[in-house]
Amino acid sequence: MTRALLIPAILCAALAAGCATKKGFEQPGFAFGCPIGEAKVGSMDDLVKAKVLSEGRRTTIQATEMRCSKSGDLLKIDANLNNDSKTIKRIAYKFRWIDREGMRAWEEEPWKPAMLYENSNLVINTISPTNKAADFRLILRSEE
Amino acid sequence: MKARICVALAAAALLGGCAKEQTRYGDARAVETLTNQFGSTDLQMMAESMARSMLQAPVIASANLPIVTVQEVRNKTSEYIDTRAITDSIRAELQKGGRVRFAVDQAGMNPQVEELKRQQSGLYSKESAAEMGQMVGAQYRLEGNIVSIVKQVKDAKDVYYKLNLQLWNVRNGLLEWSDEKEIRKTTTKG
Repeated sequence: MTRALLIPAILCAALAAGCATKKGFEQPGFAFGCPIGEAKVGSMDDLVKAKVLSEGRRTTIQATEMRCSKSGDLLKIDANLNNDSKTIKRIAYKFRWIDREGMRAWEEEPWKPAMLYENSNLVINTISPTNKAADFRLILRSEE
Repeated sequence: MKARICVALAAAALLGGCAKEQTRYGDARAVETLTNQFGSTDLQMMAESMARSMLQAPVIASANLPIVTVQEVRNKTSEYIDTRAITDSIRAELQKGGRVRFAVDQAGMNPQVEELKRQQSGLYSKESAAEMGQMVGAQYRLEGNIVSIVKQVKDAKDVYYKLNLQLWNVRNGLLEWSDEKEIRKTTTKG
């Protein structure tokens, strides 16, 4: 193989390898824009598992996707909830804000009711109430 | 027969006495659905949603502690709602977040002036008494409306609330931010 062919081939391989990682150009300690700290998050499922908690009555509603971005020094969050059942589901949710030391960065939020139609998705979004909030958890409970 | 009546009455009295009243503390932040009138969950959701939305307004996000005064939220619903409770909660959340400062509003003006006059009455030392003419005017004023649409048929009642808030620039009269929060509650019988 000539040198002229070898160089483009190596470049292509390097480019493909770089694009193959899911996190791409993610900052260390972040996955899909969301802060993850030391946790190992290699996929969206890992991120959802790390961020979503259930408290009180369990719900069949699943968080399927979560993305975060910075708005100034505040954290913006979009979470997709999925109801794959054949009936309308009612849930309540809240976010819990955590600071850099792992302490609560904000008082407990009120539970917010939400309704999901059968076989449908609902995107809930929020922004951190303070720049002290470095991490978060999404908490779900059934309101059936 | 008399004996039976006596026994029945005694049993009823006993049962009545056993139905004890119980008071317990609950979660002030739980979802409340006792009736479909405006309730604590509506107040908390509206206040949180509006405060978080206002945090993203360019005049709040990019300014260095802008000064806001809270004006009236007009209640255009058919029920009594203490709209001051909504603006108080929004103010508390924004103040706690350290993004906004609040100037004394119309409702607080009389007590503020009274206190200034008291301190200027000659009873206080000049060094510690607050001077007249040092109050800071607000750059923005917050006001809004809450409306409701109520529909009722025999076995169902539907209530729709909409809170609209606006942040006006006092100097030039421009609307700098506005947002709405909607809530729907339906009660059915049977």
